[in-house]
Amino acid sequence: MNEEILNGLADAVIAGDVEKAEKCAKDSISADMDAYTSIMEGCAKGMNVVSKKYECGETYVPEILCSAEAMNAAMDILKPHLKADATAVPKKIVLGVTKGDVHEIGKNLVKLMLEAAGFKVIDLGKDVPTEKFVAAVKEENADICALSALMTTSMIFMPDVIREVKRVKPSIVTMVGGGPLSAATAETYGADGYAKDASVAVKVAKDLVRSV
Amino acid sequence: MFGLMTGQKIDRIPVSPFAMGYAAKVCGFSIGDFYANAKVNFRSQLMAADMHGYDSSPMYGYASIGAWEFGGKIGFPYEVGHGAPYVIEHPVETPEDVDRLEIPDPTRAGSNPISMEVAKQCNALGLPAVFQVGGFITFAGNIMEPARMLLWMIRKPELVHKVISKVLAFQKLTADWYIDTFGPEKCMVFSGGATESNKLISAKQFETFTLPNEIAINKYVLDKGIHSVLMHPCADQNANIPHYRKIREECGWRGRYVWNFGPETPLEKQIEMFGAHDIIGGNVDPPSFQTKSFDEVIMLCKDNIERGMKNPSGYILMPGCELPPLTPPINVHAMMTAARKFGSFE
Repeated sequence: MNEEILNGLADAVIAGDVEKAEKCAKDSISADMDAYTSIMEGCAKGMNVVSKKYECGETYVPEILCSAEAMNAAMDILKPHLKADATAVPKKIVLGVTKGDVHEIGKNLVKLMLEAAGFKVIDLGKDVPTEKFVAAVKEENADICALSALMTTSMIFMPDVIREVKRVKPSIVTMVGGGPLSAATAETYGADGYAKDASVAVKVAKDLVRSV
Repeated sequence: MFGLMTGQKIDRIPVSPFAMGYAAKVCGFSIGDFYANAKVNFRSQLMAADMHGYDSSPMYGYASIGAWEFGGKIGFPYEVGHGAPYVIEHPVETPEDVDRLEIPDPTRAGSNPISMEVAKQCNALGLPAVFQVGGFITFAGNIMEPARMLLWMIRKPELVHKVISKVLAFQKLTADWYIDTFGPEKCMVFSGGATESNKLISAKQFETFTLPNEIAINKYVLDKGIHSVLMHPCADQNANIPHYRKIREECGWRGRYVWNFGPETPLEKQIEMFGAHDIIGGNVDPPSFQTKSFDEVIMLCKDNIERGMKNPSGYILMPGCELPPLTPPINVHAMMTAARKFGSFE
């Protein structure tokens, strides 16, 4: 029964089926299942499949946005039932699009995938100045600072952000991504990691955290 | 470039660096004024082309097209970090907004008057009067907000179709305005957009939402007598290529088309699909102009030239998208040097 519900949650997320996701989430509560397990073994498992399908070119952003709707609908029901001691302290990621850049579809996909993988994401949004990244890293005591840019005019702020966040927290790891970036540019900018798109961001983040 | 497009004998491959914000910066203007002021736009493009000796003529256009034209608000790129106009307010936020959306008067809509002013200055010098059509997914995304439109493609597809049909009607009116002003033989169409990228949508979604409209607008301008079209399928559109070919087939391969795909699309693939009829303009990796050295850019251009010159219908050395505004001028010179050294017909 529990496995059926978990599979139902995962399938609902994969299919972007909001109604089914809500029903499965409610069923899991009625069955007195652990909410954290439902999120990780149901919703997150489904989103992981979506992410892999995107990486292989088998699904696209419209479908991912539907999956996100389904996942969020289930999470809204499950979250109030999370037990305080049920989860390990999640790794924190400060995430944002660098100054001058208002393109955030990629950043939002990264956020979605990271949250589904259990990271706590502090989303600073778009057009974020260096000082705001620094303040958020300090205030949140973040583990990772992740920067996105779609424009060559805005990616130039990445070295500044990387230098400044490392100044306030030397142990922080940084990762960058976005259309005009490459692994070589990321290295030149001093980033610890580079994700070519949202589908690989989780792996890069996990590898970085593991390496610290 | 005009020589290549009109079938004249040329001494080297043309160079068109797709320089917009770069042209402003290298001439000492702000990128904001470049997009807000037709005189700055025209003059800086002309001056930059003259300084470097490249072959493209001025044109007005930007990727956020659609929002302002249909009643939303854009910001001009005056701040550090900005590279092009950006949307502040999308005219469609709710399903009800779609029905309320009116087809604007092309002579007053958003950036159209600026674009027309640039075209008039071009026309006065015997250069083509360029206007922007096509790119329906990009255009509609700017009207509806890209993520909302992408979600509605599945949740409320009829609303996306409705907005796109209004965009098509507006683009036809814009085409009429230019053709009536200059005559079709003096006009050139620029068509493109990045939201069509297969990083965002599938080829099937391209086929469903935009292909019939692309065919319609291409037929429309060709039927009106326009001969020159610059197609810029931006970013990774490899999966859409058969559909782009379908546009040409449906139009009987009429007109002189230039294809400028993103750097993700190999030149060989473009030659295979379009080479028997069309010019290939391509497609050096744009960020490399900003981040790599003079020698590295020369080598990238050399490789591109050697592969592109195999196109039987002609080749133009171009980046795969707009030249980064912060490109060091020496790397534009590298394009010119490479074209003279490796792209000469003498």
